[in-house]
Amino acid sequence: MLHDLLQGLDAGGFLIIQDSCSYSGRRLLWSFIKAALNRAEVVHVLSFEVSEDELKNGLQESPIERLHFHNAYSDPLGWTSRGAFTVDQFCVERVAQLAKQSSRVKPPILVIDSLSWVLRHVSPPAVCKTLQQLKNGGFVGNLISLLHSDMHPRGMVGSLCQLATSVITVAAGGDQAKITRRLKSGKVLQDEELFSIKDDLTVVGQSKPSRADPQEQEADPTANLTFNLRLSDTERDAKEKLALPFVFSKEKKAALLHTSSGRIVYEPDANDDYDQEDPDDDLDV
Amino acid sequence: MADSVSSACKPSVERTPLNATSFQKKTRNKLLSIPGTRLSVQNGQLLVSTGVTSLDYLLGGGLAVGTVLLIEEDYYDSYSRMILKYFLAEGVVCRHELFLAAAQDHPNDIFQELPDPILDDVAIRKSADQPRLSCEPQDGLDAMKIAWRYQNLPKVQSALASSSRFGHYYDVSKTMEPEIRQAAKCHHFYLPEHPSQSSATHSPMLESYSALLKSIEEVICREGFNVSASMTKSRNILRIGLHSLGSPLWGDDLCCRDDPKHSHALTTFLYGLRALLRSSLSVAVVTVPSHLIQRRSLMGSIIRLCDNAIALESFKGSERKTSPLCKDYHGLLHVRQVPYLNCLASQLPDHKDLAFKIKRKQFSIERLHLPPDLSETVSRVSRAELAGAATVASACGSGNKHLDF
Repeated sequence: MLHDLLQGLDAGGFLIIQDSCSYSGRRLLWSFIKAALNRAEVVHVLSFEVSEDELKNGLQESPIERLHFHNAYSDPLGWTSRGAFTVDQFCVERVAQLAKQSSRVKPPILVIDSLSWVLRHVSPPAVCKTLQQLKNGGFVGNLISLLHSDMHPRGMVGSLCQLATSVITVAAGGDQAKITRRLKSGKVLQDEELFSIKDDLTVVGQSKPSRADPQEQEADPTANLTFNLRLSDTERDAKEKLALPFVFSKEKKAALLHTSSGRIVYEPDANDDYDQEDPDDDLDV
Repeated sequence: MADSVSSACKPSVERTPLNATSFQKKTRNKLLSIPGTRLSVQNGQLLVSTGVTSLDYLLGGGLAVGTVLLIEEDYYDSYSRMILKYFLAEGVVCRHELFLAAAQDHPNDIFQELPDPILDDVAIRKSADQPRLSCEPQDGLDAMKIAWRYQNLPKVQSALASSSRFGHYYDVSKTMEPEIRQAAKCHHFYLPEHPSQSSATHSPMLESYSALLKSIEEVICREGFNVSASMTKSRNILRIGLHSLGSPLWGDDLCCRDDPKHSHALTTFLYGLRALLRSSLSVAVVTVPSHLIQRRSLMGSIIRLCDNAIALESFKGSERKTSPLCKDYHGLLHVRQVPYLNCLASQLPDHKDLAFKIKRKQFSIERLHLPPDLSETVSRVSRAELAGAATVASACGSGNKHLDF
């Protein structure tokens, strides 16, 4: 399922990558950015925690001309008022304005690194409202963001995950990912996968963890018997062709179904001895 | 609510064009006869079906008019949303009026997902010419090979008439046809369409909740659901569905913080809602994401403020993955509260362990029992351990060792 997500989210999709202090999900986030750039999509990165050089070093050999970097790293709280993106500007109008800078037909992908930074300084209901409006308003095509789940109370992480259409939780050890996807029909898919990220940021999925339940195989009941229970093809055909008892011809069925006239239609069966002679004819009563 | 029900009014009988008789049942003048309702046998309240017949049974026959049903959402909000849709679909079939408020999805999207009712006697308006029964089975004769005598049994199709049954069944795999849905009057409240105005008075309720309460009050007054309204026109029931109250999209930080700033916003709203409902002919179903609310005392006061309360716990979101119950059921259902309405004691369900499963044509709530363990070991071992020790599963599937005679 990880590869399906890497190929692209549906329109209006919101992906959250949850990580913790034991393993950072940033490389997974960069691999999503790289996959999007390779798909010729415009990506806007709103970065609070990582500088532009570090991001560009991580994303070497990718087509960077479609990447628009918005610097929220140098001065997020607006202390020096130098014109970088500040955290109070995280509202629909401002972010939509940023997204419109790239004039393309398709709305761009917005990557937020990370949402935890925003949640420390802006009230959570306002953040949720902004994300919902960005998702539904058509300003951005997809939203991908990083969330440090151990920085927030459980309720806040849960309420953000309710907004998301897909959540990837990177487990400790760095190679196990729990993926939850909510489809538009309301169905919820869950999966656990092992993955590893190579140096050029491609994700390699490994075999499923061995903790999965072994599949129960039903033994074929016709297998180890002393008599033959199987059917060959000719035998199966003959079985299908067998005329069942009480199966009438079409005319008789139609006549029975429309019994308004009261006619009796008799079709002699194979077992019927239709003798024209009445055996009682010679009775002398 | 009982004393308001006993006010005098004329019984209203809907004259359908195909109704051949002019017989009118002589009812006592004191009772309202509204389609889709019936009187409770326990305390004489006017009851409305929730759309799920097993849930009606748990709540003592149905939802009493003027009360609130609180549903604590399951982790992914799939089954609570399903029950809300059943509730609204039942309103469409019984021709009640609907009011739906949501902050996440537009109410029209939820209206389009309502399940299709399974109709034998509920009427739908088909095309004007009745299909001639004699020519129907020409195609159908080949369809039914063994049960062909039943081909011609007609499905009853009459013009639009109210259904006399209490509680219907719905087919979840299909959505309700637009003609049926548009026959019912729907009001909606979508929070992003109401820009927040800062209120002049300092009230403990948030602006979003105040706006919602005002909107509900306005609909009740305008459409005449007040009990004190004039009795000249026929009465109807208003079904109110409120989706995911308390979530951050309503502007409430109840779910986000451990000690929320607006801890009294939702409780004040529920108090006002219940006051509105008691004085009008309406029923409300409210869903709350209770798994996100960290303070259990707050959840307790929210439950106290609603009349009926149930909680859904689906197996998908919880940690009980290896339980053998996962195969048969989709989750557990807990009845948190059943109201006392004008009586001394309420009808509590006698079994407390309930589980639900959603089949295509029915949402069934059953008493929880573990299936019999067919393996040789007497003690109840969990399925995961059995699977580890298995050699070959027998054909019956559950036992893992051959029965040795």
